[in-house]
Amino acid sequence: MAAPNPGPKGPRVGVFVCYCGKNIAGTVDVKKVAEAAAGLPGVVYATTHEYMCSDPGQELVKRAIREQRLTGVVVAACSPSMHEVTFRRAAQEAGLNPYLLEIANVREQCSWVHEGPAATDKAVRIVRAMVEKVKGNHPLTPVEIGHSRTCLVIGGGIAGIQAALDVADAGFDVILVERSPTIGGRMAQLSETFPTLDCSQCILTPKMVDASRHPKIRILAYSEVEEVTGFLGNYRVRIRRKPAYVIADKCNLCGECAKVCPVRVPNEFDQGLSERAAIYIPFPQAVPSSYTLDAKNCLGLVPLTCGECAKVCEAKAIDYDMQEEIVEEEVGAIIVATGYDLYPKEAMAEYGHGTVPDVIDGLEFERLLSASGPTKGQVRRPSDGKVPREVVFIQCSGSRDPELHKPYCSKICCMYTAKHALLYRHNVHDGKAYVFYIDIRAGGKDYEEFVNRAMEDDRILYLRGKVAKVFREEDKVMVWGVDTLTGKRIEIRADLVVLAQAMVPAEGTWDLARKLRIACGSEGFLKEAHPKLRPLEALSAGIFMAGAAQGPKDIPEAVAQASGAAAKAVGILSADKLVHSPEVAEVDEDLCSGCKLCAPQCPYGAITVDEVAHVNEILCESCGTCVAACPSGAMSLRNCQDEQVVRMVQAALAEG
Amino acid sequence: MPKVAVYWTGGCGGCDVSFLELGPKLLDVLSQVEVVFWPALVDTKRQDLEALPGKAIDLALINGTLRTQENVEMVEVLRSKSRYVVAFGACAHLGGVPGLANLKSREELLVEVFGGGFRPTPPPGGPSEHALPELLPQTLPLAGAIPVDYVVPGCPPPPALIADLFERALAGDLPPAGHVFGKDKAVCEECPRKKEDRKLDKIVRPHELQPDGERCLLDQGMICMGPVTRGGCEAACPKAAMPCTGCLGPTPKAGDPVLAMISALASLVRAGEEGEAAFSAEDKVLDSLADPLGTLAKYSLPSFPRLARSCVPTPVRRGP
Amino acid sequence: MRGNGFEPKIVAFLCRWCAGAGADLAGTSRLSYPPNAVPIRVNCSGRVEPAWVVEAFRSGADGVLIGGCHPGDCHYVVGNYKTRRRIYLLQKVLAEVGVEPERVRLEWVSATEGARFARVMREFVEELRALGPLAMNQEEKALPPQGGVHA
Repeated sequence: MAAPNPGPKGPRVGVFVCYCGKNIAGTVDVKKVAEAAAGLPGVVYATTHEYMCSDPGQELVKRAIREQRLTGVVVAACSPSMHEVTFRRAAQEAGLNPYLLEIANVREQCSWVHEGPAATDKAVRIVRAMVEKVKGNHPLTPVEIGHSRTCLVIGGGIAGIQAALDVADAGFDVILVERSPTIGGRMAQLSETFPTLDCSQCILTPKMVDASRHPKIRILAYSEVEEVTGFLGNYRVRIRRKPAYVIADKCNLCGECAKVCPVRVPNEFDQGLSERAAIYIPFPQAVPSSYTLDAKNCLGLVPLTCGECAKVCEAKAIDYDMQEEIVEEEVGAIIVATGYDLYPKEAMAEYGHGTVPDVIDGLEFERLLSASGPTKGQVRRPSDGKVPREVVFIQCSGSRDPELHKPYCSKICCMYTAKHALLYRHNVHDGKAYVFYIDIRAGGKDYEEFVNRAMEDDRILYLRGKVAKVFREEDKVMVWGVDTLTGKRIEIRADLVVLAQAMVPAEGTWDLARKLRIACGSEGFLKEAHPKLRPLEALSAGIFMAGAAQGPKDIPEAVAQASGAAAKAVGILSADKLVHSPEVAEVDEDLCSGCKLCAPQCPYGAITVDEVAHVNEILCESCGTCVAACPSGAMSLRNCQDEQVVRMVQAALAEG
Repeated sequence: MPKVAVYWTGGCGGCDVSFLELGPKLLDVLSQVEVVFWPALVDTKRQDLEALPGKAIDLALINGTLRTQENVEMVEVLRSKSRYVVAFGACAHLGGVPGLANLKSREELLVEVFGGGFRPTPPPGGPSEHALPELLPQTLPLAGAIPVDYVVPGCPPPPALIADLFERALAGDLPPAGHVFGKDKAVCEECPRKKEDRKLDKIVRPHELQPDGERCLLDQGMICMGPVTRGGCEAACPKAAMPCTGCLGPTPKAGDPVLAMISALASLVRAGEEGEAAFSAEDKVLDSLADPLGTLAKYSLPSFPRLARSCVPTPVRRGP
Repeated sequence: MRGNGFEPKIVAFLCRWCAGAGADLAGTSRLSYPPNAVPIRVNCSGRVEPAWVVEAFRSGADGVLIGGCHPGDCHYVVGNYKTRRRIYLLQKVLAEVGVEPERVRLEWVSATEGARFARVMREFVEELRALGPLAMNQEEKALPPQGGVHA
């Protein structure tokens, strides 16, 4: 490590206190803070400025660094999440190592929440502590790393497809991994899309074809990510390809195999509303364009029990000896687009626990509306195939219900319920639809207008209120609710009930996040590095997210996010070299006894131990958990060392 | 011939006996030094010591904690007569096991041991030279009373470290002042036990478990202070299936071993099984740590008084 | 500080991603709370050492707040879980030496919970006012110096 600051002549710290107009100076006596700072040991210069982040303000800092030969700078201003980068860049331009500059947050955590002399007193304490930190900081140089130019996209729904296409169009190789036999994801299941009522498959399948034909994209369907090691720019992934037992290049989609297959199981693509054979293609436009033999439901492969499908396959595409394959790849960036599931109906005790056949969820209704669905687009209810004359749509089913279900708004349900009601009315002209809602959230281009169309339909009745109970009565479904606008109890003998179930992260999201060493929020959605300013990135550098895996969102948002994530990924793939923060953990090898207590603390696998511990400084994300766990003091976090923090604590509490 | 003094303040005597562990080497050493003061070995009294000219002693080895005013006076005399003073053993180095008394105030201790009516001074008949020496308010390590040049740590010090001190002293090759004989690295470095499964699923006391011969004792649930404790003992205790109790004191940058081990132990509990659902199970593991301070601060309390000092002295009821 | 009453001094170790961001949001939302705590930002609550907490008490703090991410929400996946256990054990030891465990407060505050941060601060200050000054800081010295070897 480079020579510590203070240098041989002792520290020369400059303190720059920002007025931020009245934002800070309105409550904190900025001049007094600067005066107090000027009296601190090691501080050789302290001043104020109206707007320190302005060009003249930055110039002031730069000039002082040069003229006062500062060895450290504290800028007392807004939160470091605002201008830390700004000021560190300025410091660098003035010849001071950027890691010798720190921000003292006297706005968000002081002037905006306190008043009177106490606010000034606290600001002084904050500055005093930060001066101590800066005095202990070391100049650091970001770590440079080489990298792979291939991108891994996990999940082949619309977000994954879009991200793959954008990265590939930028000229980089893409591996698109999808765990089901085809790409297309949820969007392929949808009937029509709001607010334009475009046929979902019609607009999706061209993109699927683009992806399958793209010379830079390699689609690994029926595959799952097994293991991810490595770090930014240098991830090593192991992908498990499940055997499809059908050679995709040979399969001509004649479908004879499925006809002779004696097995019938619920068809996932139709949400179980129809059946499929053990050898099947999810839908005709599937990509890769091939049948898949689902070994779990086949009568038996080892030993071969049935073998009927191979007998009728003229293309000789069926290969019962196909083996699982492990694909190992090095990738520079990873985009996670694993999508969503619906919160299970079975969790809705108040709505029949999923046991009433004519209480279905939104995706099931999509399949009933879809021309490629089990009823060929005719709305017929599951129990007896009759056309439902009265349909109740229940919004926020499982959403916005922190006591029993999910606390969040699933965002798309207001829109797709309006779409469902409209499409139902197109389908069943004399039908009647009821929509129970809490609020209508139709923020989006042309969304409000779309919902209004549904509301203006005189056979669609919007009822503001919650449904308390749904249960079966003979061949009807009873819906007990309340209309909060009139205060009346509502009782509807419906033929069909459609629950706008909450969106939840797709099954396996958490496991995948663990493999990637990225975080999930409390509801299991992938967690972004910053909710406002870094919404596409995981905290682990080089991993991005797109689509509903990150949170409920609709198609245009998912696509936009996918393109954004692709741009971020391309930023890495196309970089000459990558850099990583140097403020990482490091081991004093003269003190480390190799006790190995640190290694299991690291969520990133950055620590290996032989005689002594070693930190892979590119894997390390600087949390410092290992440092606190290290009993001997051999592990430290650069620029957040024990001695520094102890001095900060003392300075924060000191009197006078 | 170098002149040597050995003195014992508040201790158990084990440190004096530890010289015997040098075996035949002890004869070599004794043949090369002149023992001018060693109450346990030769008939020397305080007056003999006081009679010596300043710096007449080359090397004074002092063991034991400082518990009484007399202890302090004696080590001050030794300091004034000696070129080099060595804190010898855990009590002189850190305060030692008697230092755990610092969890109580002096008054509480007296009541605890002698009952409520005890009045230590003055003795019946008024003050006299036969009065019991006054107890200090708190137990002190040697460095709490006088400047110390070197430390030979341990309870008792391992023979290799004693030998090292004498070899270097006799060769005129003493390290810079402040040196602690022993290693900068922790005991784990010397411990042959396998450290593989770094997590703590339960905490047991040594008598509750017949430990596996190969695996790290900590991994088996014993509180072993090895990771925070200075090496130099060749991991004698863990090799004998007893967890390290920390007698060589914390490694140079560990700080208070109690706090370092709180952090380390808690980090290990059910590592890898984290989750909100595991909270109560985690707490249960930690709850099973019996006598945390007695275990983690066995030797070190007076040297890291931040915790001990926080005891509020309770007023003691005295006799009428 | 205000009034004649006792005003506790607090050090608040806030993780940068959740509690610190929550504190920033409390500021952005202008949710006022008592100014007793001086914040010290760390990357993760998992960096907070028990020794820092004790240091704060010895340096005159009456309370120490550690703010981290909600369980399952940690930016570093599991750092907050380690913190929880460390503080749990530390509190047990502090109780043994007469420091009320409530003086060390571990709180989960997310980046979106500015209001919660302000509420936690208000509550903590109230609780510490009720507890009064930390007894060990009120004692007179006559106590040994920090041990160690005099070079």
